[in-house]
Amino acid sequence: MEKVLVANRGEIAVRIMKTCREMGLSTVAVYSDADRAALHVSYADEAYRLGPGPATESYLRTDLILEVARRAGADAIHPGYGFLSENATFADACVSAGITFIGPPASAMRTLGSKTKARQAADLSGMPRVPGSVTGLSSVQEAIATASQIGYPVMLKAAAGGGGKGMRAVWSQAELPSAYVGASSEAERSFGSGEVYLEKLIQCPRHIEIQVIADMHGNCLYLGERECSVQRRHQKVIEEAPSAVVGEDLRRRMGEAAVRLALSAGYVNAGTVEFLLDAEQKFYFLEMNTRLQVEHPVTELITGLDLVEMQLHVAMGQKLRLRQDEVQLRGHAIECRIYAEDPGNNFLPSPGKITRLLQPSGPGVREDCGVYEGWNVPLEYDPMLSKLITYGATREAAISRMLRALDDYVIGGIRTNLGLFRRILSDSDFRSANIDTGYLDRLLSQVASDKDGSVPEQIISLAAVILSERREKVKASSAVALASRWKSAGRSEGLRA
Amino acid sequence: MKRWVQFDGRTRCVEIPDDVGNPGHHVCEVDGRVLDVDVSLGQEDVLSLIADGRQYRCILDGDAVIIAGHRYEFAMEDPRSLRGRSGSGDGAAGPRPVKAPMPGRVVRVLVAQGDEVEAMQGVVVIEAMKMQNELKVPKAGRISKVAVAVDATVEAGQVLIIVE
Repeated sequence: MEKVLVANRGEIAVRIMKTCREMGLSTVAVYSDADRAALHVSYADEAYRLGPGPATESYLRTDLILEVARRAGADAIHPGYGFLSENATFADACVSAGITFIGPPASAMRTLGSKTKARQAADLSGMPRVPGSVTGLSSVQEAIATASQIGYPVMLKAAAGGGGKGMRAVWSQAELPSAYVGASSEAERSFGSGEVYLEKLIQCPRHIEIQVIADMHGNCLYLGERECSVQRRHQKVIEEAPSAVVGEDLRRRMGEAAVRLALSAGYVNAGTVEFLLDAEQKFYFLEMNTRLQVEHPVTELITGLDLVEMQLHVAMGQKLRLRQDEVQLRGHAIECRIYAEDPGNNFLPSPGKITRLLQPSGPGVREDCGVYEGWNVPLEYDPMLSKLITYGATREAAISRMLRALDDYVIGGIRTNLGLFRRILSDSDFRSANIDTGYLDRLLSQVASDKDGSVPEQIISLAAVILSERREKVKASSAVALASRWKSAGRSEGLRA
Repeated sequence: MKRWVQFDGRTRCVEIPDDVGNPGHHVCEVDGRVLDVDVSLGQEDVLSLIADGRQYRCILDGDAVIIAGHRYEFAMEDPRSLRGRSGSGDGAAGPRPVKAPMPGRVVRVLVAQGDEVEAMQGVVVIEAMKMQNELKVPKAGRISKVAVAVDATVEAGQVLIIVE
């Protein structure tokens, strides 16, 4: 392997290219018309246009991406996360074109990518899962029968689902028919498949996931867990590793179950097995993500491993270089997903030009960033700008560090959710790890305390006036300078004539 | 010079010396209270203020100033323009616009000119960053103007629909 095409954009494309460069591999970027000036393009050794802004005409066009790979002579494709990363047809097409797909084989993706098939695989490998159906529901009648068998409340879910689409919580039989139709049609629209299944609604669970990586030689490791219980609309907001409530014994049991599932499906490369953990510390299989996860850096920080490097080695056919007993967890890491959205205004997206970017650094701070000062954040894609990750010897130290890094961080010109993280990280429930998947909704339903910072109002007023006056002056003088340049140009032209 | 600045729902009178842009010590006044400050203007839109030993890094971002990680929105005011501002057409009577709350693309237009609408009825759906938002009319009435079509790109604050 010598040249890797990264079929993605934003922070993950840049992060993958960094490891490629460290390993002496050349990098190929692809971009849409909205992304010609994007960071991932200027970071790559080679870059090729795919098409217009919408993802369906660019980053999701398998034919164009394979054509670029051929033209550039790339021998491998890393799909990142999202876009084509869990598309088995694309993985197959890469293999047919003689290009290494850096991810699992298409067969394993098909087995584990569908949630109903993954539930069947979980049963085969003896993994505990949330009670409910293991095949798609064929009718409302079947849904009603299954629900009364497992008992309300229940959750309807799209088999092809992700990102909270096609999901409905149902609290009684009366609600079931309309919820079934709603979930099914939303699934049809979002994923092209209306298949939905039903499972018991676990109340107030924690979201715990296990990172696994397998090579082509039958070896598979688990690299500890991540806790992602801080969610909004089923989207992760903060992730951390390790979980504050997972001890050594539970970690080993969850890890071994995850490895069994991966091996049973013939899984190769990095993947994540997601679980729900209830108040009695019982865990239930949720689904498997057959790709590198957004939140992989927290695992990297506590294991000292580079997951992308491991992915590349595995894809080259190499054996994993360490044994399970050599995987050691040390310290604590937290990640905040920085989005261009306005928490003060119903989380409305906020695309636009980043007029100022002051990024935090210093001990224990990592930022995986996909933007730069002066860049115009396009409105076509996901609003994630960057991931801020801090590391500390303990959870408390990692939290203090994150609060410091958030104070250092300035993003001007667009609205971001930086303030939301400050609120969560200062909250006593979060600090005592008293969190579950409903935690953030409860926090957001409370009125934020008025005390926003400790700066005296005289200082704020004075700073506002001094800076505004100065901006006016700069505006006026640049207008004068512009006018006088025209004048002097006119004079010199006149002299020449 | 005297300036009026509004934030947190209150207007404050700030008096600064004309040469406040020069680095060093300046005597300023906020609502009649004297403040001895040391001013250092570095990068464009960045200010370091030292008052009584406390240092504040202040960054101008549009209509807000960011200090110690917090964002404070403000508005500069000309006191003469304040007069006669009250009673400007923000009441229930008269035409009311539906404006885009964010830049985006129009996905659906749910009404046509002349349609009768209920208060808070959805009229336009705009999408940005994979998120769709349905915009609603602020009052019941008749749609007097539809200023956008499907697929149009709109700016924040742009008028999309007018209801009368």
